[in-house]
Amino acid sequence: MAHKYSLHVIYFCTGCGIIEIPPSITARWDAERFGIIPVATPRQANLFLITGYVSLKTLKPIIRTYEQMPEPKFTVGFGSCPINGGMYWDSYNTIKHLDKYIPIDGWIAGCMPRPEAIFVAVTHLWTLIDKEMADGYKRYRKNYRYYRANQEQLYGKLDWPPLFPIEDEK
Amino acid sequence: MSNSIKENLISSFPDIQVEVPEKDRLKINAEKEEVISILSYLKNKRYGHLALISCVDWMEEKEFELIYILSAYLARDDEYTDRERLNIIIKTRIPRDNPEFLSVIPVYENAEPYEREIHELFGIIFSGHPRLIPLFLEREYEIPPFRKDFDNRQYVKDVFDKIPSVL
Repeated sequence: MAHKYSLHVIYFCTGCGIIEIPPSITARWDAERFGIIPVATPRQANLFLITGYVSLKTLKPIIRTYEQMPEPKFTVGFGSCPINGGMYWDSYNTIKHLDKYIPIDGWIAGCMPRPEAIFVAVTHLWTLIDKEMADGYKRYRKNYRYYRANQEQLYGKLDWPPLFPIEDEK
Repeated sequence: MSNSIKENLISSFPDIQVEVPEKDRLKINAEKEEVISILSYLKNKRYGHLALISCVDWMEEKEFELIYILSAYLARDDEYTDRERLNIIIKTRIPRDNPEFLSVIPVYENAEPYEREIHELFGIIFSGHPRLIPLFLEREYEIPPFRKDFDNRQYVKDVFDKIPSVL
């Protein structure tokens, strides 16, 4: 697909993952060689990188950022914490599995992963895009009722309207 | 200099215990009724910087311990005086079943976020605080999460593990 070499990325810098981002987008590791360029707003982005643990407070902006991105969009969780909680596995205030709330196309495991791991992940993502396996945005559309139900189970009533119409189950 | 502060404190407040655990440290154990007057006394002695309010939950002793850490602002850049080098720790205990204390905002205005945080994480009510509303947390907790009887793992099982995976 055409956009696989033009990944405009929005970094959601929760937790310690922000440390790896400045070296990876500047001259040392230069993400632009891979067609990755950071953008200022989710409405211009098609790759969403969540770098670090996700607390209850930051999950809300993550969902809203994800919903603002135009399709096709890809999501990558960076570090151990969005995968299963990492070292915050018994914390009272971090969500453990990010893929229960938004769909994730790929994970970069590690605590912390090196900047090279971002490029390994991106080349891997190219393969997934070619094979049409990076279909998180399609899954979000298809299973939106379940994602929204999970989000509401965590927060109670959400203060924004549903992104897609939720039809009654037949 | 720290000796003279110590002597002044003991002569003004005969009920408190003052220790010097190490050089440039002063530890004051006070009853809760006296804390506000000690703080305003020290503020008049130009200890104008409230660095932190902290809290410890002593569950077996059925008490909360509130800790106020004070220091002085620098008068000169190149050199500390003895007065500026001194850190003062004031400790007091309040009962755990009735966790109420006076707000120290009238003395130190920057106590506002610290007291909100302690209210949120330990459930201590600071009377006189202008807006005792949640600072960080999004959910409501039956037991404030920093109390010793809050069961982290049970909470994770009850809340986060119960949310089903999608697909």
